[in-house]
Amino acid sequence: MLLEVRDLHVEFRTRDGIARAVNGVSYGVDAGETLAVLGESGSGKSVTAQAIMGILDVPPGRITGGEILFRGKDLLRFKEEERRKVRGAEMAMIFQDALSSLNPVLSVGDQLGEMFVVHRGMSRKDARTKAVELMDRVRIPGARERVRDYPHQFSGGMRQRIMIAMAMALEPALIIADEPTTALDVTVQAQVMDLLAELQREYHMGLILITHDLGVVADVADRIAVMYAGRIVESAPVHDIYKAPAHPYTRGLLDSIPRLDQKGQELYAIKGLPPNLMHIPPGCAFNPRCPMAQDVCRTDVPPLYAVTEVEEVDESDADRTSACHFWRECLHG
Amino acid sequence: MASSASAEPILEVNGLVKHYPLTQGILFRKQVGAVKAVDGVDFTLHRGETLGIVGESGCGKSTVAKMLVNLEKPTAGEIRYKGEDVTGLSGKALRAVRRNIQMVFQDPYTSLNPRMTVGDIIGEPYEIHPEVAPKGDRRRKVQDLLDVVGLNPEYINRYPHQFSGGQRQRIGIARGLALRPEVIVADEPVSALDVSVQAQVINLLDRLQSEFDLSYLFIAHDLSIVRHISDRVGVMYLGRIVEIGRDAEIYDHPTHPYTQALLSAVPVPDPEAREHRERIILAGDVPSPTNIPSGCRFRTRCWKARERCELEVPVLAVPAEFRHAAGPAAHDSACHFAEEKQVVPPEETREEPPEEPPDDHTNGGV
Repeated sequence: MLLEVRDLHVEFRTRDGIARAVNGVSYGVDAGETLAVLGESGSGKSVTAQAIMGILDVPPGRITGGEILFRGKDLLRFKEEERRKVRGAEMAMIFQDALSSLNPVLSVGDQLGEMFVVHRGMSRKDARTKAVELMDRVRIPGARERVRDYPHQFSGGMRQRIMIAMAMALEPALIIADEPTTALDVTVQAQVMDLLAELQREYHMGLILITHDLGVVADVADRIAVMYAGRIVESAPVHDIYKAPAHPYTRGLLDSIPRLDQKGQELYAIKGLPPNLMHIPPGCAFNPRCPMAQDVCRTDVPPLYAVTEVEEVDESDADRTSACHFWRECLHG
Repeated sequence: MASSASAEPILEVNGLVKHYPLTQGILFRKQVGAVKAVDGVDFTLHRGETLGIVGESGCGKSTVAKMLVNLEKPTAGEIRYKGEDVTGLSGKALRAVRRNIQMVFQDPYTSLNPRMTVGDIIGEPYEIHPEVAPKGDRRRKVQDLLDVVGLNPEYINRYPHQFSGGQRQRIGIARGLALRPEVIVADEPVSALDVSVQAQVINLLDRLQSEFDLSYLFIAHDLSIVRHISDRVGVMYLGRIVEIGRDAEIYDHPTHPYTQALLSAVPVPDPEAREHRERIILAGDVPSPTNIPSGCRFRTRCWKARERCELEVPVLAVPAEFRHAAGPAAHDSACHFAEEKQVVPPEETREEPPEEPPDDHTNGGV
């Protein structure tokens, strides 16, 4: 396993109390694999990613438990200096909003080249050549001329390509892409996703794709982890989850999106609102909104069950897991 | 929703144009060009109907919305409300028309005044149109509206920040309904909301339409949502409608290459579709609206473009090759080389949707 997150807990101290943003998240990604982390706002998907990258705001954030194993070593035990060497060179991140992630007063060539100057000790001139190569690689037309341009001179899609180029610069083993195409138009979104998938295959990188878009996930992911209120509620290979979800939340999400290829009558809507992270409901966090909830759901936090027809499988080896007491009923219902 | 649509047009838009001048110089400002945000748009909206307008950012769809509710003055063209051109109206006559065409905005976080209570926000339209609700009656009217959109009427004295995104959008909708309008222009009303909340708001809009006999102009970039809610759909590109027709005509039988590309690029939540779906990936970016290509404005990105496309502007009409056959392909499409192409996989390849209890969809506390 290239990266393994084990039982991660993150909380934020705020004026109003402690918000428990991540409550025991475990997931892993292999080289060459795409893991999609799916969740709505406040589900903890981005906070987990920030903890992996080591860019969590501390304080107010605080990692209160768990391990983040990268190539078998726990990143949380690293010193900040060691961490910085990993960041960028071995793992890199692509953010949603390219315009605010790029420095507006530096040319894109300087920003791309900086990676090589800082991490590889290259001269400015060599770094500039590398920058042009990278821009060619992400198919920015006229890279040689445009290397001197500033971020605002590029369109949204081109800016996101520059972000990808920057993440790819040192050929990291792992890329975390946080809603990389959410701000883009559909036709541009398709171009950018295709590019990302192609580069991933070519360099055999692990990719963690954080998104709320079930459509994008279906197109590119190998595995999916669905998050709700700071926990993974279901994790499965992509084909299984769309065929038969084993958690009522996943099922609700799939049923509530309008489809391009069919005109539905009334949309199924998950009732209620996502929980306040300062007052997560006891038992299963989803129980107040769940159509299947029973008494046990209001009292007992569901463990991760192995979703399998075979009895007695150790859930850590399971291909598919669900944090629902009634996953069997959900799967067959 | 198609059931109540009648033949009587409530809104007719002809040759609508909005150009923003680009000027140079400080003392002697001279016009050096124009941003052609909307460049000749025609459509009709019938009573009880939903017309969806889709397009990518910068195509002019929001500018069209603003002109309809008189937040922008058109450079040229006319907007006919029940047969009367309203673009030249002012004073009392204008106020009467504006009362009947109301807007719901995209961002429920910035479109509600944070210093006003919900009651004041929803009741504000009555200050301008006191004939709708006499002073003593307003509080009760606002509470009724809160109830209609699925909010607790007791929340009337709360402030916007005390509500979630979905609830705020319900407040925006209640404000749009306050004057009992006939037409609602909704500009991306659900795109700022989470998936699970989005469905609640769409269902609410659906219910209100039949309850109040509303006509919707529904503007969005999400093609799946537009299909769900619309009876007819218009596709915009660079300031113009390039294709318009009934939802099945546009989604299942598109004839304009831009529509085809747009539809093929939408990710479908079905991993099985990965293999047997053809994707049209368009080259390049949308040209600048200050410098629109000659002839067909889509030709710079079109894989079918020929010399004719550069010389001749295609008109929005039923293409000649489909004119004599009454089929779903016979709808307005502005392309010289229109041909049918199925880009959304047909429905029978998938299994039937799971049966979920459809009850309790709107009143779950939002």
